[in-house]
Amino acid sequence: MTDTDIIVVGAGPAGSCAAIAAAKAGKRVVLIERGPFPGSKNMYGGVIYPRILDELIPDWFEHAPIQRWIVRRSTMLLSDTGALNIDYRSNAWGQAPYNGATAYRPDFDNWLAQQAVAAGAELICSTTVTGLLRDAQGRINGITTDRPDGDLTASVVIACDGVNSFIAKEAGLYKAVDASNYTLGVKETLSLPKSVIDERFGVRDNQGVDIEILGGTSGVNGGGFIYTNLDTIAVGVVLKLPKLSAQKKRPEEIIAELKRHPAIAPLIEGAEVIEYSAHLIPEAGLDMMPKMVADGLLVAGDAAALCLAAGIWLEGVNFAMASGMYAGQSAAQAMTAGNTTAAGLQTYTKKLNETFVLKDHKKLRKIPHLVLSDRVQHKYPGFVTGIVERMFRVENPHPKPGVRRILREERKKAGISLMDLVRDALTGLKGFG
Amino acid sequence: MTIAVCLKWINASGQTDIDDDRFMGFSYADQAALEYALRVAENTNDEVIVVTAGPVGAEAVLRDAIARGAQRAVRIDIDRSHDSAVIAQAIAQAVSHCSLIWCGDYSSDRGSGSVPAFIAAQLSFAQALGLVDIVLPTGAQSPITALRRLDGGRREQLEIRGQAVISVEGSTARLRRASLKGSMAANKQVIEIVTVNQVAVETPPTRAYRPRARAVAAPVGNSALDRVRQITDTSTAKGHGETVHLEPREAAELIVSKLREWGYQS
Repeated sequence: MTDTDIIVVGAGPAGSCAAIAAAKAGKRVVLIERGPFPGSKNMYGGVIYPRILDELIPDWFEHAPIQRWIVRRSTMLLSDTGALNIDYRSNAWGQAPYNGATAYRPDFDNWLAQQAVAAGAELICSTTVTGLLRDAQGRINGITTDRPDGDLTASVVIACDGVNSFIAKEAGLYKAVDASNYTLGVKETLSLPKSVIDERFGVRDNQGVDIEILGGTSGVNGGGFIYTNLDTIAVGVVLKLPKLSAQKKRPEEIIAELKRHPAIAPLIEGAEVIEYSAHLIPEAGLDMMPKMVADGLLVAGDAAALCLAAGIWLEGVNFAMASGMYAGQSAAQAMTAGNTTAAGLQTYTKKLNETFVLKDHKKLRKIPHLVLSDRVQHKYPGFVTGIVERMFRVENPHPKPGVRRILREERKKAGISLMDLVRDALTGLKGFG
Repeated sequence: MTIAVCLKWINASGQTDIDDDRFMGFSYADQAALEYALRVAENTNDEVIVVTAGPVGAEAVLRDAIARGAQRAVRIDIDRSHDSAVIAQAIAQAVSHCSLIWCGDYSSDRGSGSVPAFIAAQLSFAQALGLVDIVLPTGAQSPITALRRLDGGRREQLEIRGQAVISVEGSTARLRRASLKGSMAANKQVIEIVTVNQVAVETPPTRAYRPRARAVAAPVGNSALDRVRQITDTSTAKGHGETVHLEPREAAELIVSKLREWGYQS
């Protein structure tokens, strides 16, 4: 007899959804969290797309602790002095059934974990899982923790322990770790009165803005972001690890540089930094994903590198919640069927393959590499902003130049060969489908 | 025999503008008290009962204490806005059957350290408050020896026997971690809830402290300057300055009689 049926490691979005799904299926679930409360270790400041929660918590949007509903989605290309902003607004996204939202993750994760507790899961905080227990056949049947008398046995362990998952590594599910598959997300939370944020970003009430930025990262491959909360703004950068290391620049210097950019500075003027934090992000998509199933073990969320960093789509929490939910359901099904070996747990990978979780990653497999490639990072922002600059600059008495001429000249100035441009365009077209 | 530990459910975030259950806990002094109580109980096989006064949320600290080894938990359902005397009276009723009552010396949310003293007064127990070093006996009959902080860096050595209220500083002991199984069991622990009748404690009306008024003779002098000087001049000694060398008892009697004479005490 095991201590419990299912152990979920990590009470983030993946873990809590796994616990909700398994508890709803009638299993005894223990949800283990390293921090003093769920979300306490989380620094993520991005947009959450919780549509997948419809399946688990039908009225989630009535109760979830949301800061602002995103009604403006912008993609910004920054050169040294210029900025091209493609901005879409839909106030309908600010009403039920909603689309994306900003939230403070210590609030959101805590709320989600309480839903798991309400569903019957047992939440244990301030506990770090230190390893896996195996039975005589080598099959995983529990965990060890840093607590006294800290071993706990179960039929299935679901690892939702986040990026750089020690559990998935200990189980041998990851190939050798390659630092180039990871980025460092660095974020400052800036305090401004709500009325000032509303005015500067052109929103009202709980409407919010999401700005994704290409360029502006001081020559380090990556990207930037600005998200509005009710009375704070999250500003930050995502930086490719080997490039950051090679450039020998401090991440906070890169954020400071971004904040000084003429297109960004007016948005955040007078704001006070109230928080600075950083965290690793698994950005290489399908190419870095581990095996997600072993005997008695499932891996979900960031632990399984289920993070989509595909330029115009930057999503992770929804992949975590979905994979967690499917892991919880599959673990419960496998237990009921009496087979929790890797073969018995294969419904999980099947479910991931059938849904957006892996379909999106397969379709966009090449995009993360394209977005973080040197050309897209260092040449295209200047190239594109150069074209726009010349198209809209009036130089009378000279007549307007032809667009083809501008394209040709700017391409040469940016040092992009026609072949490379065509190649990247094809990769992009193929990747984005 | 039962050992009681009084735990106060406080904002443990260290920030005054946070009012959130996630950051609630109990102060280091209370943690040290719990640790000593558990150590004593290990030697004597006594039962440890943890007590808190507050709303349902306060049960979190009781479950935490149960996870670390306490056997019973009591929550006194009382509004925490009551002053220390009222809270202490309610706690005293719940722990009157206990032999030792351990408390933190004062809580880190601006606590004054008065609750342990009030409990001791209510129960007529001995009190050993503000301890900075405690040596637990190995035998059940031996006293607990302890050092108490006094002013001016002095220490008082105490021997604690029989029924007593003991309050300790937070730095004296590090609270043990709860076992994983202990935490899981604590989630299922039944917490006893005591509702108290509104206890009537007479508290005199409060006002800002000031010495009593006393009659001062009008200054006498030929010129206005002389009269002003009489009132404001500080170059000559006057008033109460006096140095005496006496035994403590006589010194205390002299101080009291002088305070009466000067109008500070009736």
